[in-house]
Amino acid sequence: MWPSALCVVTMSLFFAVASLYVFHTNRQTLLSVEIAQSSQIAFAAQLAFERARSSLEHGAHNPAEETVEDSRARLVELREDLKPLYESRPGAFLQDMTGVRDPIRRYDGILEGMIRRSFDLGADGTEAGHELHSWLGTIAPLGQTLKIILDASAERSQRMLEDEHTSAFRAALLPFALLFLSGTTLIAVLIAESRRNRRRLEEVEAARGDVARMEENLLAVIEAAPTAMTVIDPQDNSISFINAAAGMMINPSPDHADWQKLTVTALQVARAGEGNWSNVKLTFTRGNGDVIALRGSLCRVLWEGRPQLLLVLLDTTRMRDADLQLLQAAKLATLGEMATAIAHELNQPLAVIRMAVANAHRLLAGGGERSIIAAKLDRVTTQVDRAKRIIDQVRRYGRMPSETGETFSLRQAIELAAGFVAEQYRSFGIRLAIQLDIPADLTVSGEQAIFEQVIVNLLVNARDAFDMQAPQRVRSVWLRARPDGERAIIEVEDDAGGISPDVMARLFEPFSSSNASAKGTGLGLALARSVVRDMHGQITAENVRNGACFTLLLPVAMPRRVREAA
Amino acid sequence: MTKPPSILICDDEADLAGELGEFFSACGWHTVVHTTAPDALEALHAGLAPTCLLTDLRIGHFSGAELVAATRRLPEALQPRVYCIMTGHVVESTEAKDFGADLLFIKPLDPDLALNDIQKLIPATYNA
Repeated sequence: MWPSALCVVTMSLFFAVASLYVFHTNRQTLLSVEIAQSSQIAFAAQLAFERARSSLEHGAHNPAEETVEDSRARLVELREDLKPLYESRPGAFLQDMTGVRDPIRRYDGILEGMIRRSFDLGADGTEAGHELHSWLGTIAPLGQTLKIILDASAERSQRMLEDEHTSAFRAALLPFALLFLSGTTLIAVLIAESRRNRRRLEEVEAARGDVARMEENLLAVIEAAPTAMTVIDPQDNSISFINAAAGMMINPSPDHADWQKLTVTALQVARAGEGNWSNVKLTFTRGNGDVIALRGSLCRVLWEGRPQLLLVLLDTTRMRDADLQLLQAAKLATLGEMATAIAHELNQPLAVIRMAVANAHRLLAGGGERSIIAAKLDRVTTQVDRAKRIIDQVRRYGRMPSETGETFSLRQAIELAAGFVAEQYRSFGIRLAIQLDIPADLTVSGEQAIFEQVIVNLLVNARDAFDMQAPQRVRSVWLRARPDGERAIIEVEDDAGGISPDVMARLFEPFSSSNASAKGTGLGLALARSVVRDMHGQITAENVRNGACFTLLLPVAMPRRVREAA
Repeated sequence: MTKPPSILICDDEADLAGELGEFFSACGWHTVVHTTAPDALEALHAGLAPTCLLTDLRIGHFSGAELVAATRRLPEALQPRVYCIMTGHVVESTEAKDFGADLLFIKPLDPDLALNDIQKLIPATYNA
């Protein structure tokens, strides 16, 4: 602000001084010209006077026709040179300086008379000599006047020039002083500003240095971090940076094809999180065929001055394997608990087969009808298929869960889980009411076998909750599912009396149990929560009416055809 | 004079109940088959008075033991002479008397052995 204002003031003053200088220069030039012209007029008149006087003196001492003519010519010259003194502007200037005007003009007539008289001067030299001598006396005062004019002209010119210099200096003094003052102030301000800018520059340089060192440190930290960190250029999905952990995890060369594959997969699976963050969970097959589980996040960052994407990944393969092993252990524990029910379930078709075969043998021995025997064999086949379904169900339930999540039919998964415990429920006299208001093609994302385990765990928990109840009590469990916008709601509700508040508070913690029978591993609900979270869903529990209700909220996956069309 | 023995079979597994009925019929027994405990109890109340009651332990939401207990509360003349319970569950150190029955058969049962065991308990006045 101040430097700008000072610049304006200084420039204004500079122009004022320059204008004054030009004005005075022009004026001085005009004055010089005028003084020179007036001096020239005065000098010419003085010179003409001296010539005329000299000629008259010569004629007075040597009167002759030639000297008279010469005198006349000089007088004519003098009269002509006197005219500028009273007719021209420089002459007026001289008259103003000396105050003599009329005496000069008066000699115009005198000289005219002398010139005419000179024509009358004949050969009589004596008369001519006297006449010329008398004229010398006549013009003598003119000579004094002209000398006065010349001296006054010179003196006045000198004084006026000196006055002009002085006045010019005085007129320019104030602007010069202001110009000097403002210029000095401006220079001082500029110097101060320059110093301040230099100081700021030094601070900026120092800050830049700090930032550079910080970036260097940060880079070193990122480089040394055990988590794989990758910077992706969103323009072409190329890799801008990988740290050592990322190099070890995928490939040390960012140009390797595996990186492109990983980048594309990560960008596809990234789910919107809070702010600039997105969660990433994926499996990746290395070049050597190893499948690794990765979990992390994707976020926007400014890298090397450009907006890019930072992909942070942690190899969760071991953790995931441990989770899967835990799930498997829980499943096997459930299987162990259900072994009796499974045996009963298998014994039912075996019993029918055994009896049908016995009857068929008897019919064969007694020559029975072939159609009746064939019907027995059909019955045996039907019961074998029934047994096979039971065994398939057990095998399916007991197999090790994989980590390759895909979309699956929610209805089918719930039905399979319910079917697995149905016989047990029947054995325990528990009514299992199933109400699935969801279409068969409604899908969710995840690992179906693991999800079935969640439903089985909830149903087994509900069954165990009844162990403490009176045997004559009517026992019911409701398994419901319905769509809710882009989510599916699954509920498992029992009327076993509910969960006590102290247990409810830590219900989903590991080794916590919803019942007091101490059955199971104590990990069922913790695993259920983990599985549902992995499916980007929620699981909650509350006491309702006469029992407890577990509610699962799962995002519905886009149907494959819709996804492909998109 | 002997009269043919009779048996009331109760099992919610219809195929098994049918095959058992067919077997005992072929062996000269008078056979009545029901797939629900209330139906069987109603028949007993109606005066069926079978020589043997053969029931599944779990009949839907009804317990075979409860059917046996209810039958034993009938008048003497309406009660069966032999009570048998079948179960598909693997039961260890469990005996028929735990369910108030005379015989306990584990599915899949051998029909000839079962028939033999039952016949040992019925009085000589009944002969198939």
